[in-house]
Amino acid sequence: MTMDFGARTDTGRVRETNEDSLRYAPETNLFILSDGMGGQASGEVASRLATDATLAHCLEAESNSALPLVGEPIEGVSEASNRLASAIRLANRVVYTASQQNSEQQGMGATVVAVWIKNDRMSVAHVGDSRVYRLRGGALEQLTSDHSFVAEQVRRGLMTEGEAAQSKLQNVLMRALGIDPEVEPDVTEELVMEGDTILLCSDGLTRELSDQQIAGVLTSIDDPEEAADRLIELANQAGGGDNISAIVVRHADRAVGAFGRIGRWFKDSR
Amino acid sequence: MSKLVLKFENTVLKEVAVGAKEVSIGRSPDNGIVIDNPAVSHYHARVFNEEGRLMLEDFGSLNGTFVNGQRVRMVSLRPGDSVAIGKHTIVVTDSVEVHAHTLDNVQSKPAAPRINETVILETRDRREFLQKVAAVGESAQVAPARLKVPTLVVLKGSTDQTEYSLSNKLTVVGKSAMATVKLKGWFKPKAAAQINRREDQSYYIGAADRVPTVNGTPIAQPTKLKSGDIIEVAGVQLEFVIRD
Repeated sequence: MTMDFGARTDTGRVRETNEDSLRYAPETNLFILSDGMGGQASGEVASRLATDATLAHCLEAESNSALPLVGEPIEGVSEASNRLASAIRLANRVVYTASQQNSEQQGMGATVVAVWIKNDRMSVAHVGDSRVYRLRGGALEQLTSDHSFVAEQVRRGLMTEGEAAQSKLQNVLMRALGIDPEVEPDVTEELVMEGDTILLCSDGLTRELSDQQIAGVLTSIDDPEEAADRLIELANQAGGGDNISAIVVRHADRAVGAFGRIGRWFKDSR
Repeated sequence: MSKLVLKFENTVLKEVAVGAKEVSIGRSPDNGIVIDNPAVSHYHARVFNEEGRLMLEDFGSLNGTFVNGQRVRMVSLRPGDSVAIGKHTIVVTDSVEVHAHTLDNVQSKPAAPRINETVILETRDRREFLQKVAAVGESAQVAPARLKVPTLVVLKGSTDQTEYSLSNKLTVVGKSAMATVKLKGWFKPKAAAQINRREDQSYYIGAADRVPTVNGTPIAQPTKLKSGDIIEVAGVQLEFVIRD
């Protein structure tokens, strides 16, 4: 399956440095995004280590299927999903070790979100509050759930979504790479269909834009690079309070198909 | 004598003088300056006088202490310095100065650059939080002791088996090679619908090339399944069953 993609990252209008990092291997449809955190330049270091380690482990497994998994295999998921989880566990160890060894990098951490598409199946793995969305038939769906303090409270019914959106604690994460010696990523699998658009993004995008705005861009702009540019432009217009990153991935033969057309027409007419 | 002014978004919360006795800063109530925020460690840092100099020491806190935007471990402080801990700011003032003037200065200063930075809940706090919410009675749903694997029973239609165990995170209903529930027949879609097991171990059915119905109603978005639900899609009827 051939996918087109556009990957963009921007410092935004408030921060002085860009602590987001993107890596991808389009030949195997692997896309990785990380948002680093920590003092001085350590956020940049953390996100780069995280994306490099994740990419390297997956690519190594492509040429050496006997490469051992880091951590316990997850039941009921594909080999690619297990490899992606393994890569993220490894990335955690890399960031954790670096932060322990270098006093300037003490306490640094990173989120990570990765998508690997093999045939019709997509593996999604993440730690933190960077997200993956899917646009299918005009409807945007968030495929990841944030590992944040407020999202956790919403899931447990202790807070409403409205309260979460207003909370002063939105920036507090429950899980991140580099903080503990071990971390467990969430892994999901999805079917990839013609016409699907996948978006990986950092919280710099989702704090500035609503789901409707994101869906509007992904629906109206066909070229993934242009769509990524437009998302970043809109997030900057909305304030650009943080680093902004977006990877837009789209089925290359984006023949919408009769069902997609009917679905879109049906949705628009409501 | 120096003073520490604790502020949150330009509101002064507290002023503490630093004399011979050190002032500790942290989330625990026994600190001299208490900052009740999960991003702040229980014992985060301290400010003390040493040989006439005012010193700040971070106790190796997870999310750090920043002076004028730089993460610090141990530094000497001067009047006008801005110490950021979590989203709070502690401004160092010399109490000899005219008080109002000092506060004016402080307020016109730009906020510490790291104030909206993403931070991480410390391991200990994370555990405490999870225990606390577990006590609210949600634990059974959030973390079931053992997952019961549901079954899809074929009630009507042509498929390669009569039932399917949903042991995978993703189950596809369709004609494609990756489909678990394999549909037979000429005009069947490659992927009619999908069922996902989410992190909370519940199962959701979603549309693919077709929009399935659950108990007769077409689904508008991924829909959580419960035992006994009847799914219809692409000419097959399936019952979602969780057996005891």
